[in-house]
Amino acid sequence: MSPITLYSVSNGLVSWVLHALYNVFPHPWFDWLVNGDLILVLSVLVFGAILLAASMVNTIMLIWWERKLLGRFMDRRGAMHVGYAGLLQNFADGFKLFSKNTYRPAEADPIGFYAAPTAYMVTSLFIFAILPASTGWTAGALPLSLLLALVVFSFAPLFIFISAWSQANKYSLIGGMRSAAQMIAYEVPILLAVVAVVIVAGTFDLNAIVQMQQNYWFWIPLFFAMIVFTTGMLAEMERIPFDLPEAEAELVEGWNTEYGGMLFAFFMFTDYLRSLIGSFLVVLLFLGGWTMPSWVPSPLTTFPLAGLAWFLVKTYAVFGVFVWIRASLPRVRTDQLLRIGWMRMVPLALFSIILAAALVLVKCLPVLGCLPPVGG
Amino acid sequence: MDEKAATERLRSQLSTRFPAGILAVEPFPGTLGRVRFDPALALDLFRELRDVHGFTHLGMVAGIDWVQEREVVYTLWSDERRVYLFLSTLLPADRARIESATAIWPSADWHERETWELVDIQFDHHPDLRHLLLPTGYQFHPLLRSFKLHEPEDLEVKVRNV
Amino acid sequence: MSEMWINMGPQHPMTHGLWNLRVRVDGEVVLDVDPEMGYLHRGIEKISEDRHYNEVVTLMDRTCYVAGLAWEHLFITAAERALHIEPPERAVWIRMMTEEFQRIGSHIMWYAAFVQDIGLMSPFLYGMRDRDLILDLFQSYTGARLTYEYNRVGGTRNDLPSGFTDRARKVCDWLEDRFREYDTLCLASDIFHKRCDGLGRLKASDCVRLGVTGPMIRSAGLKRDLRKDRPYHAYDQVQFDVAVAEGADVTARYLVRMEEMRQSLRILRQCFDWLDRHPGPVVAENLPRWLGAPYAPVGREGYLLKRNYPKGVGFSAVEEPHGEALAYIVNEGGEHPYRVKLKSPVFTNISAARHYLVGYRVADIPPIMGSVDVCIGEVDR
Repeated sequence: MSPITLYSVSNGLVSWVLHALYNVFPHPWFDWLVNGDLILVLSVLVFGAILLAASMVNTIMLIWWERKLLGRFMDRRGAMHVGYAGLLQNFADGFKLFSKNTYRPAEADPIGFYAAPTAYMVTSLFIFAILPASTGWTAGALPLSLLLALVVFSFAPLFIFISAWSQANKYSLIGGMRSAAQMIAYEVPILLAVVAVVIVAGTFDLNAIVQMQQNYWFWIPLFFAMIVFTTGMLAEMERIPFDLPEAEAELVEGWNTEYGGMLFAFFMFTDYLRSLIGSFLVVLLFLGGWTMPSWVPSPLTTFPLAGLAWFLVKTYAVFGVFVWIRASLPRVRTDQLLRIGWMRMVPLALFSIILAAALVLVKCLPVLGCLPPVGG
Repeated sequence: MDEKAATERLRSQLSTRFPAGILAVEPFPGTLGRVRFDPALALDLFRELRDVHGFTHLGMVAGIDWVQEREVVYTLWSDERRVYLFLSTLLPADRARIESATAIWPSADWHERETWELVDIQFDHHPDLRHLLLPTGYQFHPLLRSFKLHEPEDLEVKVRNV
Repeated sequence: MSEMWINMGPQHPMTHGLWNLRVRVDGEVVLDVDPEMGYLHRGIEKISEDRHYNEVVTLMDRTCYVAGLAWEHLFITAAERALHIEPPERAVWIRMMTEEFQRIGSHIMWYAAFVQDIGLMSPFLYGMRDRDLILDLFQSYTGARLTYEYNRVGGTRNDLPSGFTDRARKVCDWLEDRFREYDTLCLASDIFHKRCDGLGRLKASDCVRLGVTGPMIRSAGLKRDLRKDRPYHAYDQVQFDVAVAEGADVTARYLVRMEEMRQSLRILRQCFDWLDRHPGPVVAENLPRWLGAPYAPVGREGYLLKRNYPKGVGFSAVEEPHGEALAYIVNEGGEHPYRVKLKSPVFTNISAARHYLVGYRVADIPPIMGSVDVCIGEVDR
């Protein structure tokens, strides 16, 4: 589509800076500044930095959005004082956690204790390099981007388990095992729902999946798959109604009890990071990504960064629904949660796979009549 | 009136059943009465009141320190007759022992623990007579008259850490 | 996982008060329970022996801080009987109205904490918001929101302000709507029923045997309510029903308390009508001089200040929001009571914990203990 991609932006920025530097001292000794290798390396780094900054700022804004919206559901206003309408509150919270001491209990395993939350956060941040937020957001074609994203997403239970074990605290271990069990159990319905999407789309490439939703979004034919995927994502994000592993009132302690300071911030941050990733995936797979219906007037959909803006609007709307669910439902017990996952979600997901396969075979919707084919 | 007549009836019934041991059955306004009994009669009286007279609910067990002797007060409730009954017994201060009522009313468990730790009355055959509200190993019985709230400064208090 | 003892408390968000619930678990299943009380023991009964009768009222607020006025009534009724003093009728009706408001306030507090424990976050704040209306009403005539000190031997400290019953009627109408909303959030939720149905069963015969009273025994189908069985204040002059449910589980206790709140609204409206029609004094006449002076000088020696006041023993039983509360006061003719003995319903309800917690999971403990409605101030005194 548009020739401007994020990589080209960073490339242009870096080469402009290096050429300007070279113009200050135009001497053959400084040829290495502009002979291409350095530009490549630096533009990759800048690209990564822009992605990192964007994802981190978005996560913090997501926390702000949750606090304010949850507050309004509870008939109160949420954070108000730091920054206008509390926008800077979470930066202040992050800074507070940053400035605290980090203590490691004496019996805790030193490698696991420090490495597990770090790996947890780093792998979750890595997914942002794969998820496209607009056309041209990713560098080059990634034909298996969906698969890679889901694989890296499911590393999390492993790191939670490592951190729970390395804390040398039997209650944290119980909490960690419970949490890991919940996440692993809900991987199956999520992946089955994704299979339904892939059957209809015919590709694992997220860019192509979004482009195929030009005419109508996938939630119409794949409604049940969306329900399964969203419920599974709620369990993966450990939000109410599935937040028993971190519910303070129920457990004696949770799986991140022994962590304080910046390591605790890693955990909290990564929880919201994964919430953001979950909302991204819901929007990409079922709600059309950055495409808008054709009846939206074209000036609103063609200005630069239009796709990005619409994508973010949709993501925050999806997360708003998650917050609504959090404000209204009680939490489910662990055994009931696993029962829901295996007895309800998996059959529903299998049913939607069959439906998707039938759709591809027949290529028309019996209810709405034969619509134009997906994709364009 | 009705209350006094009911109290009188209870007195005659209990005196017939227990010729010795019932010291008095006095009227107590608002209740069926107050039965003063001999501590040796405890379990038999409790059983009689629960099974024959229908006092199935033990409200509370209170201990009162009268310096020379200690009083244990039981409060019973009957669902059918919808009335409270008080039992009271006096124990000598140097030998304050009485049978535990947990055999008859299991709810006496915690009440007797509290009475023991506050007023130092031993309840024989209590399943688990240990401190409830006070720290384990606390060696005083605070609601005794000899335990004064304003202590002299040189008193040493030993409490075992658990 | 092998068996182990877990401490839930003393600092734990679930416990609603300062106590330690020691639980022996095998994996997830609870095998045995040993509650540890006494963290909040302040020696109220011992201190009362050193205080003037009207000064003890201050301590009674602090026994159960959620339902302080109900405990004030308990003590004051017993003290009035021990001192052979009759309060005037208007004071009795004001006390009854206050107690019903206190019952609603305590049950709203119970509701907020209970749903918070099972994960519903919003009704906690809705409950706090509505309870604030009741606390504002309290503040208008007692002067405080938590520690009221409103009752005196012989009546109450002051009369209701003008226009009080109109404001109170508006609050009652508002609360009636709110209770419907609370029910929608809970009873209509499938997850709520999955979490709460069949949990914490304590059938009626066990309740009677173990001395459990209050909403717990009414949820087992037994219709025992001191306001009907042995009416105090003026409960025999108002119409209301006793809330009873079958099932003896957490959901049944929820239903009982919600229905009790609605019946309290019914009693309150009758109280407002009576109070509007019967102005009068709120303190008994001819009180002995030393009772009217709460700061009378206290002797340093001994506990019996001989004032030649007739001796007596006072007993009162009150249907407190948590159950049956008893007070027994021995008056030896002095300014201070000789012995004040209080019995708390939560004391007995927690002592029966082994019978309704064993066999369930650890994750079931918060809903069950929430349905027992624990308030530690009155257990420890």
